[in-house]
Amino acid sequence: MSLSRREFLKSSAAASAAATMGMAVPAELEAAASKAEKEWRWDKAACRFCGTGCGIMMATKNGKIVAVKGDPAAPVNRGLNCIKGYFNAKIMYGADRLTQPLLRVGSDGKFDKHGKFVAISWKRAFDEMEIHIKKALKHAGPEGVGVFASGQYTVMEGYAAQKMMKGGFRSNAIDPNARHCMASAVVGFYQTFGIDEPSGCYDDIELTDTIVSWGSNMAEMHPILWSRVTDRKLSDPKRVKVINMSTYTHRTSDLADIEIIFSPNTDLALWNYIAREIVYNNPESIDWDFVKKHIVFAASPVNIGYGMRRDNEKSIKGGKYTDLEMETVSQEMKHTVSAKEAPALKPYGYKEGDVMVNKPAGLKHWEIDFAEYKKFLDPYTLDYVANISKGDPDEDINEYKKKLKELADLYIEKGRKVVSFWTMGMNQHTRGTWVNTLAYNVHFLLNKQAKPGYGAFSLTGQPSACGTAREVGTFCHRLPADMMVKNPKHRKIVENRWKIPEGTLNPVGNQHIMKIHRDIEDGVIKFAWVNVCNPYQDTASATHWIKAAREMDNFIVTSDGYPGISAKVSDLILPSAMIYEKWGAYGNAERRTQHWRQQVIPVGDSMSDTWQWVELSKRFTVGDVWGAQALRGKNKDGSKKSLPDVRKKAYAMGYNDDTTMYEILFANKEAKSYKIDMNAFPQKGFDNSECNGDSRNVVGSEGTVFTGYGFMIHEYLFEEYASFGRGHAHDLADFTTYHRVRGLKWPVVDGKETQWRFNSMYDPYAAKETKKSGNSHAFYGGLAKALTQGDLMGIKDKKKKGLKNKAKIFARPYMDPPEMPDKKYDTWLCTGRVLEHWHSGTMTMRVPELYRAVPEALCYMHPADAKAKDLKQGALCWVESRRGKVKARVETRGRNRTPKGLVFVPWFDEKIFINKVCADYTCPQSKQTDFKKCAVRIYPA
Amino acid sequence: MKTMSKLILGLLSVTVIFTGCNEAPQAKQKETLKASITEESLGLRKTGLYAEDDTSATKTEYRAAAPGSSTRLKRAFQDAPPMIPHSLEGLVPIKIDNNQCLGCHMPNMAKLVGSTPIPKSHFTNFRPSTHIIDGEVVKSGVVLNNTSTKDLQDVSIVRQGELVGARFNCTQCHAPQSQGNLAVENSFEADYTQKNGASRSSWSGVKLMEGIDTSKAGN
Repeated sequence: MSLSRREFLKSSAAASAAATMGMAVPAELEAAASKAEKEWRWDKAACRFCGTGCGIMMATKNGKIVAVKGDPAAPVNRGLNCIKGYFNAKIMYGADRLTQPLLRVGSDGKFDKHGKFVAISWKRAFDEMEIHIKKALKHAGPEGVGVFASGQYTVMEGYAAQKMMKGGFRSNAIDPNARHCMASAVVGFYQTFGIDEPSGCYDDIELTDTIVSWGSNMAEMHPILWSRVTDRKLSDPKRVKVINMSTYTHRTSDLADIEIIFSPNTDLALWNYIAREIVYNNPESIDWDFVKKHIVFAASPVNIGYGMRRDNEKSIKGGKYTDLEMETVSQEMKHTVSAKEAPALKPYGYKEGDVMVNKPAGLKHWEIDFAEYKKFLDPYTLDYVANISKGDPDEDINEYKKKLKELADLYIEKGRKVVSFWTMGMNQHTRGTWVNTLAYNVHFLLNKQAKPGYGAFSLTGQPSACGTAREVGTFCHRLPADMMVKNPKHRKIVENRWKIPEGTLNPVGNQHIMKIHRDIEDGVIKFAWVNVCNPYQDTASATHWIKAAREMDNFIVTSDGYPGISAKVSDLILPSAMIYEKWGAYGNAERRTQHWRQQVIPVGDSMSDTWQWVELSKRFTVGDVWGAQALRGKNKDGSKKSLPDVRKKAYAMGYNDDTTMYEILFANKEAKSYKIDMNAFPQKGFDNSECNGDSRNVVGSEGTVFTGYGFMIHEYLFEEYASFGRGHAHDLADFTTYHRVRGLKWPVVDGKETQWRFNSMYDPYAAKETKKSGNSHAFYGGLAKALTQGDLMGIKDKKKKGLKNKAKIFARPYMDPPEMPDKKYDTWLCTGRVLEHWHSGTMTMRVPELYRAVPEALCYMHPADAKAKDLKQGALCWVESRRGKVKARVETRGRNRTPKGLVFVPWFDEKIFINKVCADYTCPQSKQTDFKKCAVRIYPA
Repeated sequence: MKTMSKLILGLLSVTVIFTGCNEAPQAKQKETLKASITEESLGLRKTGLYAEDDTSATKTEYRAAAPGSSTRLKRAFQDAPPMIPHSLEGLVPIKIDNNQCLGCHMPNMAKLVGSTPIPKSHFTNFRPSTHIIDGEVVKSGVVLNNTSTKDLQDVSIVRQGELVGARFNCTQCHAPQSQGNLAVENSFEADYTQKNGASRSSWSGVKLMEGIDTSKAGN
């Protein structure tokens, strides 16, 4: 549906007629600074907050930030920011910035878990970390040392952390908060495309006719993308349709043509309903040429549980879970098929009342034929789906059905471009991986994927979930550039590149973020370090993890700019330099890598997380960490699992027992080839606290003034990381180029970014693959690209068939979530964010304008529910689940308008600690927690 | 509780808000080594982590003044988005066919009713028009290798007579402000470069382009 040149000239003539004044650009580019701002230095940077990845222009004067403006040159946001974006100016200046390390001590000045905090030196802080890491390694091997990592790490921080953890400590127990935010999207990408991250880009918004938002309040969570949607809608209100799919009404509904309020978890049924409409009622809309060339059909087990603890785990056997909690946890082992889900499970041989015995199934799936997929779709009639999915009890069922039909028709309409966006509603879901794959099904059948203006597009939550957590690979199972710890070839590639002995890397990567918490509760992990996240506020079933940290024998460290809940829970708190106090890079949801320079010197004695990791590496030698290490569990032959002694190989590489990890991983020959050059771009005129030290003369980890590494460590870390992806469909440009542009979308090949992945016209990798065939697309990702054959019930032929360059359509049914409202806990609870605050609020609650905009987390509820529960607007109520309760004020007239039977409470407020109420069940495939639904009761406080 | 938090501020040597920001951060640190800091004194929640009975949120107290009867709030810094000084009762949600903010804040009307006028920035479109022509991505009529270029070729400015669609969602940047104490003070200091910078936008197309060539920023 691209325009011809003639059509374009016509439309642009219309556009310029609409503009009262069109201006040539170059005349204004060289605008001289006004006199008053002569002392200001403007520079570009990336916004600190969501996954949109806006550019900002930041002004500094006398070493302080004085202003922020929208960056007209930033392609993502073109001169506009949201309220959080503008107030990046103030996030580093909260009065309680952490300025020194703080340790819990007893009256003798020694570490005491029950002591109060005292300010200590960096040297003492690293002494304590060294002692407790060594203790933890001795206790449980590499699996005893854990890191709560982040989708807000800069690329360099994430890479440094991963290198020391996996290459140094040989521990894969590093997993980011991005697990809570993007993991289902990732597994969806891997299973469907064989490679991570969206095929489309934000330009799809200007090019599409239809925007469908699924479980995503874009208006608040991705405000700048929403401003682009709004602009598109207003530019052609008749043609452009906006549909909001949600479990309650919110700001995204306010601009929508159609709003569909569905019952939690039934998005699974809704996607399958659209697919059924295509396959059964509009078969002519299927692009069979595309499907035959590019798609296979696939199925997977359904009795996979809900990612909760199993009954053989230590803390369950040890009675750490109450009877009330066990009512939900018991679903993990066995589940009784409900009337609601029975029709959807019929093709799998289940009927209402059957007991489904759940078993961990991993990521297993197999190929099926189209007839089997069609059989799977059969139950999702309009009647069935409308009945189970209608989320507003007050809505007329026929009106609701009409809207579902309209939705399907918009997807199906020939020539209508459609983009489906989603975020946490579909990712934070006990069938999150499933529902992600179902989105691609619909787009694939219609050949509406990976084309300009068309596509299912997972929006990222965090600023570098794509760039750092995923591309760098700071997950327990991953290595850089989509490589996996369990793949021996991948480990070898990484070991060679890192110049560490073969066999150093640990092949077992299963300590995802919930497992890290559970391993602390089980007494396996004795040392955990929190980096750029707030796991003690942001994890569901929060009381368990707080108790485990505070009451058991372990050592918890938090690095942060401000003292959040995680810092309060910790034994040692380290002051971190914040975003504009260091050089960095983020990668956003459209695969755009954006770099910035250090704008100001950090507050107090705070230092960057990169520095903290590199300093820690000085404390560990070959002799300390590369001997034989014990792991949990047994090999197939009954022997105990372990990691080999690689010291001999290390000696052969020129290292000895006393060589430090610093010398090997960070200050090696290659690293030192990246020179400091304060006379040239991009370093000229900018601080660089890690490389040169700075005017504060911070006394560092060795008890002497830290004067810098003497080489350009940021460039080294970035370039070494980038080398993994170049030539492997994750290509990045060089460090200096990124300082000259407002980001580029990877893969960047021969200086050119990639707009639409897998499309031979826009993606050089797809072009290469389709040179002979002339196909329009190549889904060239390499993961899970050989499948056994079977039907819905299981594998029938174990011989694997390759599916090079093909993607998958999955049969995945509607199933109930493990906890639903009942007589006692009669209300759905959904959690999430608000526009003005970021995550747990540690930064935004300290910005006066943002704090005053939303000073408290409210309990948004339907006025009729409030009345029935004897609650007035503004009154305090208890929100109580089987796991805990919090007190919040009732809001019946706010921006979030819930249907009867559902409440929404955001999680940014330390005082409304809603994650005590939420449950830690996850998608069993992605291990991402479902924060969007649990059962609560509400009563006056 | 109040004394405790003041004490902590001192201990952490965040003296900036009281004594100005240029003081060397080391100056007060030596004195702090003997002091002990409780878990409860840190952060925003000053109650124990298990003590929900004793924990309540800060109540939201937006201004009740009707539009037209309120006093403007000081802007956070030069050209920062102004916050909303009046009640929003009955004015939100903003709907695609009903944006009540525009009724008083469009420049012509603002003059009459004395409200803050929507500045020129909101009538300037910086997004290049995007089309696919013969398969190629064309931005403002030009085919570029990348969406961001080193020589800023991709930058586009078009003044238009109506509000730019991307700026239609007023509450995306402008919010009402609850009264009462802050949770934590903030030591950011604005540097107003224009007369009335605290109350007025000095924005123009030229101004927004200042400093945009960041390759010159370090010189």
